[in-house]
Amino acid sequence: MTNSPTPPYEPRNVQGMILRGYTHRYSCHMLFTFADRKGATDFIRALLPYVQSAEAWSNKPERMLNIGLTFDGVLTFEPGFKSQFPTEFEAGPWSADSQQSLHDTGPSDPKVWWNATKQAVHCIVHVYGLTAEALGSLVTTVSQAAGTNRVSEILPLKPERGQSGRLEEYAPLENYIHFGYKDGIDNPGLAWPADPAVPTNPVKSDPGDANNFLVGYPGSTFQPGPETGRAGRFAKDGCYNAFRVLYQDVRAFDQFLADTAPMVVAAIGGSEDHAREWLAAKLVGRWRNGSPLVLSPDAPDQATSDKTDFLYKRDDGNALRCPFSAHSRVSNPRDETMLPTGTPVPRLIRRGVPYGAPPVPPDYDGERGLIGIFLCGALAAQFEKLYSWINVNDFSNAYSPGFNTQDALLANRGAAGDRSFTIAMPIGNPIRILSLPQFIVTRGTAYCLLPSMETLRGIAGLLE
Amino acid sequence: MANPLTLYIPIKQDQTTQDAAQAARKHFVSTYTPALDHFGKVHYARFVLIPNHAVPGKILAICVMTSFDGPTNPYLTDFWNDPALREVFAGLAKMALADTSITDYTGFENFINENNLSEIGELYQAYKYTVVQIKADVKYPA
Repeated sequence: MTNSPTPPYEPRNVQGMILRGYTHRYSCHMLFTFADRKGATDFIRALLPYVQSAEAWSNKPERMLNIGLTFDGVLTFEPGFKSQFPTEFEAGPWSADSQQSLHDTGPSDPKVWWNATKQAVHCIVHVYGLTAEALGSLVTTVSQAAGTNRVSEILPLKPERGQSGRLEEYAPLENYIHFGYKDGIDNPGLAWPADPAVPTNPVKSDPGDANNFLVGYPGSTFQPGPETGRAGRFAKDGCYNAFRVLYQDVRAFDQFLADTAPMVVAAIGGSEDHAREWLAAKLVGRWRNGSPLVLSPDAPDQATSDKTDFLYKRDDGNALRCPFSAHSRVSNPRDETMLPTGTPVPRLIRRGVPYGAPPVPPDYDGERGLIGIFLCGALAAQFEKLYSWINVNDFSNAYSPGFNTQDALLANRGAAGDRSFTIAMPIGNPIRILSLPQFIVTRGTAYCLLPSMETLRGIAGLLE
Repeated sequence: MANPLTLYIPIKQDQTTQDAAQAARKHFVSTYTPALDHFGKVHYARFVLIPNHAVPGKILAICVMTSFDGPTNPYLTDFWNDPALREVFAGLAKMALADTSITDYTGFENFINENNLSEIGELYQAYKYTVVQIKADVKYPA
């Protein structure tokens, strides 16, 4: 992060979830299809009083929401915007080019996304509450506003075990995901670049700076756009959301740890319980409590559970602590030398939450996973590039000789990568797992723009 | 497997544009080899001038054909952020028959995608290796 002068954007014009990590314990992420412009306009207008900006609050709102629009949703209000937004936003995550990065195949196939509904997602409303009651009342308000304005709600999950079919946060897990890891530890700093861009050298900001996430400001490596014309004014101060619902197969994960533990015990000794935790840490690069392996290689340590001040190439160049293909080392390789040399490492703002109740082994039935909210200024250059690295680790010479291993946790094993996983050991041969299972299934993906507050007022018909 | 990119850009018929197209073809390989080497994902790139059969001696269109590793859009910023490569595409846009003014990166990305005649998967390749693997002389079973 670079040291910052006062940012040129107005926080009150930016939707809150972009710049702030909400700590509201309850949330619901509602998907909608518009029928017509009039209904969509009235729907957004009905929700506007509850939309939270990034302006500082003196009292934390008991309930609030943010709104995202897919490109089809944008076209409902602005049909003339075709070919004026980034290609991947317009084409959608199911497009052939996006799928070159996402590799959603087999049970993750886009044909079965959103519970195989054929309806297009136009709008996602992210509703937050301090209490279950506060959340429930605002969800009801949103639902009623939809009902009176010919806006159809999509239930993306099969309703089961008393669940609604909506994407509701499973609050008791708080900051943990279903595989048992602490989540949301490392997000970009969102400072403002101290050195403004000049035309001859436009790449002046740190990848974690806010101008790489908000549309319409100079100096970004990743070029959030559009920057010009009416579409540029519409998008300015907005941010893209790669909204990705990921089922987490805890049964497969636990089974893999149990099956592989004897091999690990043979290499490091100790009990199988310890071996399972050790292996789980190697898969992600952090112990389940959050401690990074680079800082705490031998055991989890409460003192390091939120630490982010470490590097890979400098501190663990041979991957003796954190394997090269560990999830956190792939999704943020930090100081690793990139291919091509000098390419900056993209960052994402992660605002995801878990959904579904945890399993009670040996009963693993039930739907559960992550409501992934990956915010970026450029869906292709940030989100899709990182996802392509997850599926094939070809972004750094450190991953030679094959350049085709995969992220140990998140990769789609249907991609053309090497499913094996190698754990380097300080003494003796490395532990080599020949084929990692599929731990994740994509339930759906939508690319949204989280428009500015002004743009929301505009599409609600309140600026004339 | 690699992916194809086939940019087909009909160009203006005035002499200045025609001369610029000839010059661009002549210097394409020597000028842009360093940038493409640095990018490290392009297998081949060709710059071809399509003759205008209706007007002998004139060039109808420019065609840039490449095959490269991985998806297109995530790596277009690398092209845009490279001054030499950005110059190539800015030059192409200026020559285009359709009045094209690229004022920001989104315009550049859309220009590439709208003029690309190839679809993913429409490429024969005799080998499966990436440029990075070939240059590193990777050996593993076919």
